[in-house]
Amino acid sequence: MFDSSDGGVRIELRELTKRYPGQSAPAVDAISLDVPAGELVVFVGPSGCGKTTTMKMVNRLIEPTSGGVSIGGEDVLRMRPDDLRRHVGYVIQQIGLFPHLTIAQNIAVVPKLLGWSKTKITDRVDELLGLVGLDAGQFRSRYPRQLSGGQQQRVGVARALAADPPVMLMDEPFGATDPITRERLQNEFLRLQRELRKTIIFVTHDFEEAIRLGDRIAVLREGSHIAQYDRPARILGAPADDYVAGFIGTASTLKRLALITVEDAFPADGDPAPAGLPEVDAGATLREALDAMVAHGTEEVAAVSGDTRHRLTYHDVCQAIHRDGQDQEVEPSGR
Amino acid sequence: MVADALSAAGPGPSSGGPGEIRALRHGRTRVLLRHLGTPIAIGVVLGVLYLWVHGLRLDSIERRTLNYTYMHDRVIEHVKLTVVATVIVIAIAIPLGVLVSRPKARWISPVVLGLSNLGQAIPSLGLLVLLTIKFGVGFKIAMFGLVVYAVLPVLRNTMVGIQQVDPALVEAARGMGMTRRQVLFSVELRLAVPVILAGLRTALVLTVGVATLATFVNAGGLGDMIVNGIKLSRHPVLITGSVLTCCIAFLVDWLGNLAEDLLRPRGLS
Repeated sequence: MFDSSDGGVRIELRELTKRYPGQSAPAVDAISLDVPAGELVVFVGPSGCGKTTTMKMVNRLIEPTSGGVSIGGEDVLRMRPDDLRRHVGYVIQQIGLFPHLTIAQNIAVVPKLLGWSKTKITDRVDELLGLVGLDAGQFRSRYPRQLSGGQQQRVGVARALAADPPVMLMDEPFGATDPITRERLQNEFLRLQRELRKTIIFVTHDFEEAIRLGDRIAVLREGSHIAQYDRPARILGAPADDYVAGFIGTASTLKRLALITVEDAFPADGDPAPAGLPEVDAGATLREALDAMVAHGTEEVAAVSGDTRHRLTYHDVCQAIHRDGQDQEVEPSGR
Repeated sequence: MVADALSAAGPGPSSGGPGEIRALRHGRTRVLLRHLGTPIAIGVVLGVLYLWVHGLRLDSIERRTLNYTYMHDRVIEHVKLTVVATVIVIAIAIPLGVLVSRPKARWISPVVLGLSNLGQAIPSLGLLVLLTIKFGVGFKIAMFGLVVYAVLPVLRNTMVGIQQVDPALVEAARGMGMTRRQVLFSVELRLAVPVILAGLRTALVLTVGVATLATFVNAGGLGDMIVNGIKLSRHPVLITGSVLTCCIAFLVDWLGNLAEDLLRPRGLS
């Protein structure tokens, strides 16, 4: 359906509007926005702002009143809705695994709808279970109620990926899990996404989650109006208005530190670190580096990457956060 | 496409290893063992009844009734009334229940429920008499009365069974590209099976009882024995007819229970 030989494809929303009869204000008011191929865009906003409605118009679980959606350049409104949905991955907060089907059968739903052969389905199910970190031999024939919430959500993601759709829609997929499980699921999901490069629209009301996962964030207000659409670092560094600033909350600089890795921060001509400094991994974030400094009462740490040890000072951290705020170009997407 | 959906929902032995299948068989054996009590009890009751009647000195009226041929025919009539009525009830109530539970038709559900409540509230004897005055006697009239009476539990349970399916499951199914029909057959109805079967069991047991009234419209059944026993003051006849009816009711209930246990989708707690 969509030409997706390589990762995801672009999603475009054009003046997309949903008006419910008997309501004066539209639930979604002419939102226009591009999701670049292979990127994860988070729609974040308070409940009732229209973010879920906007997302559901992409796979037409909700029919738009006016406006258009295209996926990979193809007009979604011209497709048969059921065909469209078989090529768009969909994950919801309640997970929605079918309790009367085994894990393997749950994952096989879309491939079966698409008429794949039995052997192809079996192979794909095992591959996907491995991909989301579940042992196929152990989990294949279990029923959903025999799994923990975190395991069920992994299966939910595997099921959405089953037919390898270029585009995924995720509606607060990790919202119902406890904080520890949620963080683990988020990390696993990020690792997966770096590999798969799907185009993803991800809805949440949790701004921390948006920062952690999003390549870009669309902060939405009432009627799905875009308050700001940009990279997380830009939104943290330069919130468009008080509404966005209110969403970010306090300590936005500390949140930005969590977006920059240590290896991006130490100067290219920097010194090797002397012995005795607290060590952090070069792939860690500046937030962790700063944490180590505060914890050890030093103003520098050793960034360790294999055999090399770079010196990273408090000054480097400050420089990095200011540089990060300036050199990110504003890309002409969204309004 | 429907076939796809159905096979998607099937238990799919291919996905279960040999251990799984063995566990399944083991589970079924346990279910059968657990259900052994009722048939044994029925057997004992029938045995006692037989010995008791056998030891009595029967007069010519009683002998005309308390013999194998007569009782065999009445039991067959009774079971036939029950089974045919139930089949008709299934054919009417389940599709109607499905129809009424569709989102677009939900507004009708109070009307349908009201009507079928009415059906059950009308005294069945009165209904049969009224029908007889208008349409005469016979098997069909009895059938009509039985069906009106038994439709409600099946209809109500079909509606409830479908409505209690988690809306998130329906949304997930739609979101994955199942057609409405596929959602109905491979998700909603499958998950409603336990509730629908419970309604069917209730309806069956009710029908066995109400079918004793078929005698008043000349449609036979064990009601003949009971009414004769009363009218002619022949207690052995009355008691035999009643006990046989009870045994059929228990047997039907037992079969329903067995079906519930065996047909409940695996994976449901």
